[in-house]
Amino acid sequence: MYKYVVRRFLLAVPVLLLSSLIVFSLMRVMPGDALIALMGESGNVGERELQKLRRDLGLDRPYYAQYGIWLWQMVSLDPGYSIFTNEPIAVALKKSIPVTLELATLALILGLVIAIPVGVLSATRQDTAPDYMGRIIAMSGLSLPDFWLGTLVITFAAIWFRWIPPLGYASLWEAPLTNLQQFLLPAAVLGFRLSAATMRMTRSTVLEVLREDYVRTAWAKGLGGRIVVYKHALKNALIPVVTIVGGQLGTLLAGTVIVETIFALPGMGRLTVEAILFRDYPVVQTNVMLVAATLVTLNLVVDLTYAWLDPRIRY
Amino acid sequence: MSTVTVQALPIEDVPVATVSRGQALWATLRRKPLGLASAALLVILVLTAIFADVLAPFDPIETRPEIRLSPPSRAHPFGTDDIGRDVLSRVIYGARISLWVGLLAVGIGTAAGMVIGLVCGFWEGRIDMILQRVMDAIQAIPGLVLALAIVAVLKPSTTNAMLAIAVVIIPGNSRIVRGAVMSAKQNRYVEAAQALGCRQLHILLIHILPNVTAPILIIASIWLGNAILIEASLSYLGVGTQPPTPSWGLMLSSTGRAFMEQAPWLAIFPGLAISLAVFGFNLFGDTLRDAWDPKLRRRG
Repeated sequence: MYKYVVRRFLLAVPVLLLSSLIVFSLMRVMPGDALIALMGESGNVGERELQKLRRDLGLDRPYYAQYGIWLWQMVSLDPGYSIFTNEPIAVALKKSIPVTLELATLALILGLVIAIPVGVLSATRQDTAPDYMGRIIAMSGLSLPDFWLGTLVITFAAIWFRWIPPLGYASLWEAPLTNLQQFLLPAAVLGFRLSAATMRMTRSTVLEVLREDYVRTAWAKGLGGRIVVYKHALKNALIPVVTIVGGQLGTLLAGTVIVETIFALPGMGRLTVEAILFRDYPVVQTNVMLVAATLVTLNLVVDLTYAWLDPRIRY
Repeated sequence: MSTVTVQALPIEDVPVATVSRGQALWATLRRKPLGLASAALLVILVLTAIFADVLAPFDPIETRPEIRLSPPSRAHPFGTDDIGRDVLSRVIYGARISLWVGLLAVGIGTAAGMVIGLVCGFWEGRIDMILQRVMDAIQAIPGLVLALAIVAVLKPSTTNAMLAIAVVIIPGNSRIVRGAVMSAKQNRYVEAAQALGCRQLHILLIHILPNVTAPILIIASIWLGNAILIEASLSYLGVGTQPPTPSWGLMLSSTGRAFMEQAPWLAIFPGLAISLAVFGFNLFGDTLRDAWDPKLRRRG
């Protein structure tokens, strides 16, 4: 087990290094200097000022040196400054990470709350109306674009209920009620999308488990339906669901990009989109790397949880 | 002698697993009404894209400010947008963009993924190790974020959105092909071909490749839906198709959002078009899997 954990960690290092190389190279082949894009905003700028700025930002050094400096910055958790706002990236991240974390956690919880009961219902009533309904809901979750769903939810909440989520952003600790009002809709939109795959997986694993001998035994000794399904079957059926939920983390993080943009939440997703549009490459590089590192780590955690849940699995 | 042939014939006629893929698909479509519905939906989508010029009642980019933001009516069943363009015509032409981007992106992504998967699965060893780590590195970055970054680098346009989506598709495909190749290599006939001294490329293309096409087609169909979704998302964020070209995602973001309360039809119809297209491809992918991959049949 320990050997496996160490090996996985060692494998994660080259993967992350390669990711960083991909991101770094992407940012360097951008057409049109980021600085010219930046200076375009403030009108005419002399060649000398441009050169000075370039030197200040370390852009006059060879690529390998720039890459080395950036890597060091990432490892030492001091990612430098945004070109666009001049704010330290660490400060911007400190403000935006809690927003995304809250959104993602709420969405994950809502997603599971929708997915597991519907998945179980779908399986226990296989090929009946509730099953078809459940499967159509799951397919819609996979097919409805989250930006469309978000736009519709905002509009119809405004038209039908004369209610718009409070503008701006209130922190969970300072104004919990306002905060929940702001987060509930975006988390629901994101959660609905996430629930789709989990629902399908829950359905198929519950179907499989219900055919097992020990479930038949449980029925045979006269246990009630609820106890058999929830206590005996679901416990084992949920193990593969953990993997699916793990695989969804990427979708979740990508989803926050769109949902934060629509609902005007100042999270990491919106920060990244804005940085990409303004070609603020230090911010893009840092955010994308942070997301990649988070995903790689979470995937490792999911794999280990899997082994812990299912004693038959040994690494 | 004639009696012998008469006796022998029935034995030869026994259908021993000679169901072609087309027949298997047809049988599944007949059994599953939802699968049939998805196939019909896709046929309609493709026909709409091909015959957009004939089907669209108006020019999709012609502006008529005097009828701006008019609600759905007989002349304009989907209403008109903020500069008086017919929404129905724009949705019809949008099918062309979506399908085109989807097909090319998935085509490029699948072909590249297949080559990498074949190389990795067939030769294994060091090249497999290196290429798979590169795939891991690409996969570590969420698809939409990677596509966004690529498009920002290449300049926002439909073609670049397509290329970005193709890059996102490669790693997953390469992994599926790699797995299929590794299991196909275990077959006796591959061993026999090696023993006969066939060239490696010959074994790869003649004996192994056919085993890989079914999983590739299944995954490609599901990816088509995803590609349409990513293109719409990129256009929605302003880095995909550029105005005035009618793209579903762009229609939603540019006018759909701004006039949502005043003219909800501007957002409803393009969104519905995206959802139906993606729904169709997802469901059809499921149907293909049911028809061609009995091992996966019971999985979600």
